[in-house]
Amino acid sequence: MAAGLAAVTALIALDGAGPASLFRHAYLVPVVMAALRFGAPGGALAAGAAVLLSAPFVLPEIERSGLTPDAAEGLVTFAVLGIVGALSGVLRTRVGRHRRRYETLVALQRALADEATLDVALTRLRAALAGRLGFDDLVLVARDGTGLVVAGGDRVAPGSLVARVLDSGIPELVWDAGSDVLSRRAFAAPLVAGGQAIGVLAVERKGEIPAEERAALEALGAHVGLALENARLASRQRLFAAELAEKVRAARQELEELDRVKSTFVAIASHELRTPLTALQGFSELLALRRLPPEEVSRLAGIMRREAKRLGRIVSDLLDLSRIERGLDPALCRIPLAVEPAIVATVDLFRQGTVTHPIAITCEPSLPRVDADPDALERILTNLLSNAIKYSPLGSVVRVGGRAVGGAVAIEVADAGRGIPAEALGRIFEPYYRAPDAAGTTHGTGIGLAVVKALVEAHGGAVRVESAPAIGTRVTVILPAFHGPVP
Amino acid sequence: MWALDQPCAPRTGRLFADTPLALLVVLALGAATTWALVELGVLAPPAMHVAGVTAGHGALLATAFAWARVRSGSGVVVVALLGLAASVNALGVFGAFAYLGPPLWVAWLARRGRLAGLGLGAPVSLRCVLAGAGAGAFLASHLLVSTSRTLGVHVRLDHMSEVLAALGYDVGANVLAAECFFRGALFNRAQRRWSFTVAATLATTSYVVRYLVDPLLPKSIELVVGAVFYLALLGAINCWLLWWSESLVPGLLSALVFFAAYRTLGSG
Repeated sequence: MAAGLAAVTALIALDGAGPASLFRHAYLVPVVMAALRFGAPGGALAAGAAVLLSAPFVLPEIERSGLTPDAAEGLVTFAVLGIVGALSGVLRTRVGRHRRRYETLVALQRALADEATLDVALTRLRAALAGRLGFDDLVLVARDGTGLVVAGGDRVAPGSLVARVLDSGIPELVWDAGSDVLSRRAFAAPLVAGGQAIGVLAVERKGEIPAEERAALEALGAHVGLALENARLASRQRLFAAELAEKVRAARQELEELDRVKSTFVAIASHELRTPLTALQGFSELLALRRLPPEEVSRLAGIMRREAKRLGRIVSDLLDLSRIERGLDPALCRIPLAVEPAIVATVDLFRQGTVTHPIAITCEPSLPRVDADPDALERILTNLLSNAIKYSPLGSVVRVGGRAVGGAVAIEVADAGRGIPAEALGRIFEPYYRAPDAAGTTHGTGIGLAVVKALVEAHGGAVRVESAPAIGTRVTVILPAFHGPVP
Repeated sequence: MWALDQPCAPRTGRLFADTPLALLVVLALGAATTWALVELGVLAPPAMHVAGVTAGHGALLATAFAWARVRSGSGVVVVALLGLAASVNALGVFGAFAYLGPPLWVAWLARRGRLAGLGLGAPVSLRCVLAGAGAGAFLASHLLVSTSRTLGVHVRLDHMSEVLAALGYDVGANVLAAECFFRGALFNRAQRRWSFTVAATLATTSYVVRYLVDPLLPKSIELVVGAVFYLALLGAINCWLLWWSESLVPGLLSALVFFAAYRTLGSG
């Protein structure tokens, strides 16, 4: 450009035509080139240089002869050079700014296109902006809950420009940043989303940050804020969708498990109902079709009575389970009840059949009465004793007893069976649940302990299980004692 | 990053804070007394020149030093050196070498890092030095060409003793004081408060006004217009050189080259 200006000046000097030399128009070439290359400063500087270089041809003419037509043409050339240089330079600068702005916005969108945490997103944004905005230093700060995420630094010092703008939400320019010989300019604009300052974009430069550039940075702050907020919302939405999918998967798995358990239950319950029914049907046909001695009739009637009771117990359990599943407590008719006779009566029922396990009863003397439904207590004891017998080896002793505990009575049923695996202990009171090792070896509906728990809790009591593998299991039922007058 | 790490306190000092008012008053009183004594015939007329150089340039340099927070004794020393140089210069042609005193004192202070606030002392790149020399040479050559074509003034080498004395004055007083104060101090302070354009306009306007009130400037309209034109350009360019290079050296060089060319001009 400088060589071009010098060449044109030399041509004018060699031409000898003074200020009216046609070569003066050639100044436009380096001036426009400088404007297109360097923008407004380049255009203005080149135009100024062209005017300075052509002045020695124009001014002497004015000095000698006044404002002649040639001198006027020279002055018009000054004006044209100035206007063309400044105008084309300004236009070039503006076009460049607009182009940079659109490129920056595209880069900004690209930086946030992928899923990323806030600190990663900020770092990407900073990398995208730092190379395009032409500042010496750039930092991005964003609020993250109660803390701050900083890209381009370690922390935000209290009272710093970034901290001030973060608090006020108002952009701020500092003319004298740092302690250099010549000052740096620092500018901070808030990152705005939803009318709130969610962060700060701060830049520094040794040189001017003109008003137009500051306005562009403010607009960029709004874009970045919005983009960050969108990224945050998208990330939250993705997280929510993933959580929802996980919940749906878990619910489906649960439903499938429930369906499987209920199918198993129906099969087991059918089998459990069929066994006493078959016995009743068989023995009743025998009694109807054959003439049997009275002792045999009595024995068969006894068996039929036991099976009918078993059938009745299963049906009662099913009815109670149905109430539990509907969120209702089992129906109770509570009276003051002596515990020991109730235990003895239930144990007698088990002793009447085929005795496979000795049952030992140990009750404390003067045991208080409990406030309980007799039928419910019988079913609680029957279920617990039935389980103890079912899951302990033949001939092993099953112990049942009662003792006073504070204002309550604790009834314990203990066996010397294989115990319950630790991982199954937490689930044994769930309806239909059967411990994996029990499911394949013994019959059972999986509702007994669920009914026991519901019945005990309906009395205001609690049930507790302690079990050790290969040693045995002890179930303790705590029922409130009756404190009123005995009728 | 400053915006992140450092507390951002609001500016409290005024533009003219730290001005050595006592020294300025003493210098003004000294110049006024000398003028009165010259008028009364007690002192010879050259004494007024000595007093003017000492008071005018001494005030600029001492203020620049004070604004750069250099110890006040340094300002007094430079005023004394200026007075001595102006006095010795009046004695003969080789007295111009006495004007080397103030720049040597400034160089010594700069070497010890005391004038960093004025942009002196830090290393400066050859590119910046060449840019300063180039800017001065461009303005100087333009001045030579345009004055020869318009005013009929040409380069003359038959008055070397005067040129040497003037160059000594430029090196030791004129350029040194103007660049230290108008660029190193005034522009530097102003650009910490306002934009480059405002700061450069303020510094350059003050710079031009300083020459317009200088009794040594010829008062013909052509020369005044020319002085305003070239001094404004020189001032603006030197502001930009300081801004760009962060050093006062390119501006000093630019102004020295320009004034050296100016001193060689003579009519006839």
